[in-house]
Amino acid sequence: MGVLPNKMLHCAISRRAEAVAASLAVLLVIFMLGSLIWTSPVQAEDELNCVLCHKFRGLSRIDENGRFRLFYINENLFMKGPHKRIMCMDCHRDIKKIPHDPAKKVTCTVKCHLTEPSSKQKFSHAPVKKVLDSSVHSKYDKDGNLKDYPEDYPSCKNCHEQPLYRPLSFFKGESSGISRRGLSRCKTCHQTGDFAEDFYSHVTSRLQKTRESREIVEVCAKCHGDPAFQKRHNLDNVIESYKETFHGKAVTFGSDETADCLDCHVVYGESVHSIESHKEPTASTYKDNVAATCRNEECHYKAGEALAGYMVHTDYDNAEKYPMQYYMLKFFKGLMAAVLYFFVVVIFLELLRRLFPNFSFIKETPADAESVLHRSSTEKGA
Amino acid sequence: MQDKYPRINYRNGKRFFFRFSLMQRVQHIILFSCVITLALTGFPLRYYDKAWAEPLYTFMGGIEVAPWIHRGAGSVLLALFFFHTGYWIVLFYRNRIKPLIEQKRLTPGTFFKAFLAMEMMPNGKDGRDIVQMFKWLLYLSPRPPQYDRISWKEKFDYFAPYWGIPILGPAGVALWFRDEFSHILPGFLLNAFYIMHTDEALLAGLFLFFVHWYNVHYAPEKFPLGTVFITGYLSEADMIHEHYAEYVEAMTEGGLEHEIRPQGHH
Amino acid sequence: MLHLIKTITTKVYTIALMVFTIWYGFFLYPIIYGHGGADHDVDVVASADAEADAEITALLDEADMQEEQFASALKEQTSTATTNLGYMVVKEEYVQGHFHHVGMTVESDDTSLCIRCHGAIPHDKAKAIRAFLNMHAFYLACETCHIQPKTKGQSWAFRWYDKKSGNPISNPPGLTSHDKSMYGNYGAKIAPGRISSSGQLMFLNDAKERAFVEKYLQEKHRLGSTQQSKMKKVIHRRLDEKPLLCDHCHNDKTPYLPFDSLGYPKRRKQDLVGTEVAGMVAKYQEFYMPKFLLPGTGWNSDTANPAEGEAGEHEQ
Repeated sequence: MGVLPNKMLHCAISRRAEAVAASLAVLLVIFMLGSLIWTSPVQAEDELNCVLCHKFRGLSRIDENGRFRLFYINENLFMKGPHKRIMCMDCHRDIKKIPHDPAKKVTCTVKCHLTEPSSKQKFSHAPVKKVLDSSVHSKYDKDGNLKDYPEDYPSCKNCHEQPLYRPLSFFKGESSGISRRGLSRCKTCHQTGDFAEDFYSHVTSRLQKTRESREIVEVCAKCHGDPAFQKRHNLDNVIESYKETFHGKAVTFGSDETADCLDCHVVYGESVHSIESHKEPTASTYKDNVAATCRNEECHYKAGEALAGYMVHTDYDNAEKYPMQYYMLKFFKGLMAAVLYFFVVVIFLELLRRLFPNFSFIKETPADAESVLHRSSTEKGA
Repeated sequence: MQDKYPRINYRNGKRFFFRFSLMQRVQHIILFSCVITLALTGFPLRYYDKAWAEPLYTFMGGIEVAPWIHRGAGSVLLALFFFHTGYWIVLFYRNRIKPLIEQKRLTPGTFFKAFLAMEMMPNGKDGRDIVQMFKWLLYLSPRPPQYDRISWKEKFDYFAPYWGIPILGPAGVALWFRDEFSHILPGFLLNAFYIMHTDEALLAGLFLFFVHWYNVHYAPEKFPLGTVFITGYLSEADMIHEHYAEYVEAMTEGGLEHEIRPQGHH
Repeated sequence: MLHLIKTITTKVYTIALMVFTIWYGFFLYPIIYGHGGADHDVDVVASADAEADAEITALLDEADMQEEQFASALKEQTSTATTNLGYMVVKEEYVQGHFHHVGMTVESDDTSLCIRCHGAIPHDKAKAIRAFLNMHAFYLACETCHIQPKTKGQSWAFRWYDKKSGNPISNPPGLTSHDKSMYGNYGAKIAPGRISSSGQLMFLNDAKERAFVEKYLQEKHRLGSTQQSKMKKVIHRRLDEKPLLCDHCHNDKTPYLPFDSLGYPKRRKQDLVGTEVAGMVAKYQEFYMPKFLLPGTGWNSDTANPAEGEAGEHEQ
């Protein structure tokens, strides 16, 4: 891809002014291409042939803070997500020439060169940011004051990697991947370029979770599983207690039908970015709303209100908060230890006894033995 | 029963002593098949973060199938529990109550006595056997305990599931039908059931794997496999070793007093 | 006799079973008293090695900043990230804070004696091109660029070696692949060597040389600082003051590396010596960083700005 701009770059830039001019020209072309992207037959994502260098896995360095910076782009994977339709420079905006300076951090909320089809406006992730800013994950409180440890609050990249499509096929039962038969129907009318594939992948990906439940838990665990983080924000280890529930275990073993963090902590039908603290009356986990959350139409819809009484995030070590669990566990542990160690000792002694079967500190007269035997058999007869 | 299963059987000129009827052996096979299946489909969930958990769970059908295998095996086990309860009630009636009725001696007192006289019931001899066992184990006596037909260890083995299943089973059923259950009882009971189910199961698993299998398979004279659970009959040497009192009684009953061999290790 | 053997066997088995019983006693304790199944596992991503995780978590508890860095490096090293797309599962190395998918894990070069001290990403001085140099270090042995033949007219024999074993291998089949995301990623590196009289290829950094470095690292604590310097000098004795430069290879007239015999197909060789790469290299040299010709010799300005680059040239 992108053979043409190469040549252009090679000969064009010989003085700084010319370089700037050339960059602008290239950018202009890109702008035009970008705005046509839904309908454009051209794969316009790499006009500047960035992968010429960035396709090499070894392109990397250690930065001044000791961080490993990897500049490798896996083109195969890049082309498997919605971002395939935008160019490198759409996000990496400070790069205007090749070779380029160290790139700045990407801002996700800029307006990019795609047109959002419903509004015909330039696409942006800004609405997501707006929702996030009013959620528990905003670094500002309700009054607009900075919360403690603001650096702990997430921005886009803390939870999101480069998104990848998870297309679904609905022919002859649901399965993953693009249905060739489904696609062929799209292609009847929408023949140009990859439009049909992209549209198909985009829409069907949205009909399911964009990420496997297991990955969702890992995303939350990045912060909520960190003991130092829990301490700073006075939070329980909710990741561990979740993993101890059947929900957590099913998810660990790859179930996508069981509740993950988002299913309970997001108000049914709302954006996942809108999570609120359980203290907020509008939160899905507010004490009066828990039953409704459990009983939503996709989960425990058959259940009664009382299901909400189930304690999901049980800390079995916390006797004050969860006395029943704590003492029950204590009982069972005690029972287990008593039974098992009793038999471990008995079996050990029995084996030891076998080593010297005929030895004894105290000798027994044959009469004793006889009487014991007699006693036992008479008893049995009774 | 005595006719169908002679107390002493001869095979290849060797004596074998009756232990378990076919009915009991079949019940035992169903019991351990269910327990092993339940363990294989249950413990990977308890130890979900161990390296062996996921491969084993995948082998057992994964999250889509394994829970149904677990519920199926649990249902069979619960059914077996009820069946077995009916079974011993019938046996109890036939062997102990019916004769009392026929002899017109049935009173609450004789009923209670008959109840306690059932062979699985713990009794005073078990207590004395345990004391004697410890004396022997600690080299304070040269004579091992002389167990009856059912030793205290076997009674323990018997009552372990008989106490375990009523704890595990209903808890498992409640967790299975949590939605329906939540219409009747409060939700926190599910937390309690969860602990009951998983921790009692762990106790059972650890006990069976080591203690029970030691008694019947690992012990030096049994290794690698005790066969009584298949044949229902125990060899003379094992009988002397494990049930000397019963051995003496059976030999005496068969008119073989002069052939009774002494207890003691070989 | 038979009876004796039987008795002994039984006793041995009995003792073995006693040992097992004791082991079971110890085995029981954590099972009973560690609740549930969790090992307080709070990992960021699924990790292959539970034991290493426990170690890392323990390390994280240390408040010390340096310890924390070490712990996070360990975590990064032992972790993999998994993305399940349903129709495919992407398993990749975990790179902290990395947005784009890497899509793979790569094997480290366990055999390079340079990497033992300098690490696998050693280039840092020439700020504008260090990432490129590191990129080359991914598939070129250090000595490929840093040790050139001393006598004129002499040339090395180049061969690929396996990153894991260090043994010479035939040209990696990946070279002919059209999958661009696997370019340079062959699990192998090009290294220089000599052909012995028996026709065998001897790498410059052979097992003997590696053993020497290994021995130095082991015995280092017994040497004084003067002796350490002496040994270092010996280890680095064959290194060139000026390493190979980009256009030594990336030119279509006399490329330093024999791309053909190293298994590069024509189209890839064309890329490397033709307009695509060589053109880019020329551009770098011409406008972007005039001192780039001498990486590592005082060229460590942080900037890659053409204007400043030019100013630098004038000063010289």
